[in-house]
Amino acid sequence: MAGSRKGSCRPIEILLVEDNPGDVHLTKEALKEGKVVNNLQTVGDGEEAMAYLRRQGPYTQATRPDLILLDLNLPKKGGREVLAEIKEDPDLRRIPVVILTVSEAEQDIIKSYNLHANCYITKPVNLEQFMEVVQSIENFWLTVVMLPPR
Amino acid sequence: MHGLLLIIAVAALVQLLAAFCALRLIRITGGRTAWVLIAGALCLMALRRGIKLWRLATGDLSDPPDLFDDGLTLAISLAMLAAVLWIPPLFLTIQRAAETLRQAKDNLEIKVAERTVALQDVNIRLSVELDERRRAERVLAQYAEDLKRSNAELEQFAYVASHDLQEPLRMVASFTQLLAKRYQGKLDQDADDFIGFAVEGANRMQVLINDLLAFSRVGTRGKPFAAVDCEAVLSHALANLTTILQETGAVVTRDPLPTVRADEVQLGQLFQNLLANALKFQGPDPPRVHLAAQQQGDEWIFSVQDNGIGIAPEHQERIFTIFQRLHRREEFPGTGLGLALCKKIAERHGGRIWVKSAPGRGSTFYFSIPGGKEDGRESQGKLPAH
Repeated sequence: MAGSRKGSCRPIEILLVEDNPGDVHLTKEALKEGKVVNNLQTVGDGEEAMAYLRRQGPYTQATRPDLILLDLNLPKKGGREVLAEIKEDPDLRRIPVVILTVSEAEQDIIKSYNLHANCYITKPVNLEQFMEVVQSIENFWLTVVMLPPR
Repeated sequence: MHGLLLIIAVAALVQLLAAFCALRLIRITGGRTAWVLIAGALCLMALRRGIKLWRLATGDLSDPPDLFDDGLTLAISLAMLAAVLWIPPLFLTIQRAAETLRQAKDNLEIKVAERTVALQDVNIRLSVELDERRRAERVLAQYAEDLKRSNAELEQFAYVASHDLQEPLRMVASFTQLLAKRYQGKLDQDADDFIGFAVEGANRMQVLINDLLAFSRVGTRGKPFAAVDCEAVLSHALANLTTILQETGAVVTRDPLPTVRADEVQLGQLFQNLLANALKFQGPDPPRVHLAAQQQGDEWIFSVQDNGIGIAPEHQERIFTIFQRLHRREEFPGTGLGLALCKKIAERHGGRIWVKSAPGRGSTFYFSIPGGKEDGRESQGKLPAH
């Protein structure tokens, strides 16, 4: 199978790049209620994210993710830099990157799409809406979309 | 013979007199040489007359007397005397005139000098005043600049503060909601109440922060003005209010509205806030709201009239101040930012906002937007919205 959608027994790998433990928890809650079997890995800053994706340092055994959920405001290396590096890397650029941030600033949206973000989502303030958004990300990217093979 | 002698004698005397007068003139006129010569000539002429007289008296007639010649000599002598006598007064007159002229000239020069000094004083004063004025203008421009910057900073601060407040608030709200979702009814009544209060507080704060963000965005995130069809803007605002319109059974009517130069989004907020207030502060009857626009001078006056509870005269000013509320939350919910936002939007457009109302008699909110007749009523004659 070319795609990872149908016939895949293995769980979907998701990398969440998020420094706020609260958001990590909420995302986990939302994904737990979702329909797709998934493996959520979390890293807390941009440098860790790049190390994870390149299997460097403590992440030599890391699994290549099917989807990246990326916050923009991160310590050390910002989300924009991480996005730029992923999209410049011929090996990593195929992985869909969903920007999940609080920023509604037009310049952040434009910048992210210019850097080839696959979509841009602002975190809803309301819990129910947040759950719905995370589940619709899961639903769209992991069941509707045909993803490239790993 | 004796007559002739007398003539010669008189002529000689006259010539002597004239010579004397001429010598006197030296003192008055100062023209020494000329007058000495004239006096000398006259003396010589008088001497000649004297010699002739002496010869005649001694009977020497080698030079016979001639009446015409001696008469002419006498006449000339008289004329010369007259001339010599007449010159000094004339000279004095001229001299006096010259003196007067000189004095006048001197006076004029003094006056010119005085005026020049006065003018210089005035010039100095003027330049000092000009400097002071320029300095004052600079200070004023500086103040204006400072004020503008301070306002911009304040707006930026409000924007950043409310934006950054969102993040921790999202945590509080989300996790209290999660608590409610997971543990409601599983603990005791107190716990349910506490969770309820926390959820409600977080929700209210979210509304407040959103309103604050909207308020600070009027200045910082405003769009440039363009021609805006108020009919379309109002229709959009009404569409956003569909639910509350249906719930209250409100009837909204409108006169034809003009096209004005405005920030479309902000004008929409202005309409929507005023409409929402008209529906919220409902009286005993279902809300009836009427919108109209009238041109007055070089501005459009928009009005939103309702049949709601009305506002007491003493509160009609302060309702436009930020965070000012007239009712308890249980009576009417709200953050106290709606009308402050309306005021800020109206003022950003160069307009004003005010209200005419009486308790129990409904309210009419007015706001003005500058706009000449050339803006036209492009959408005249449309039917009422509802």
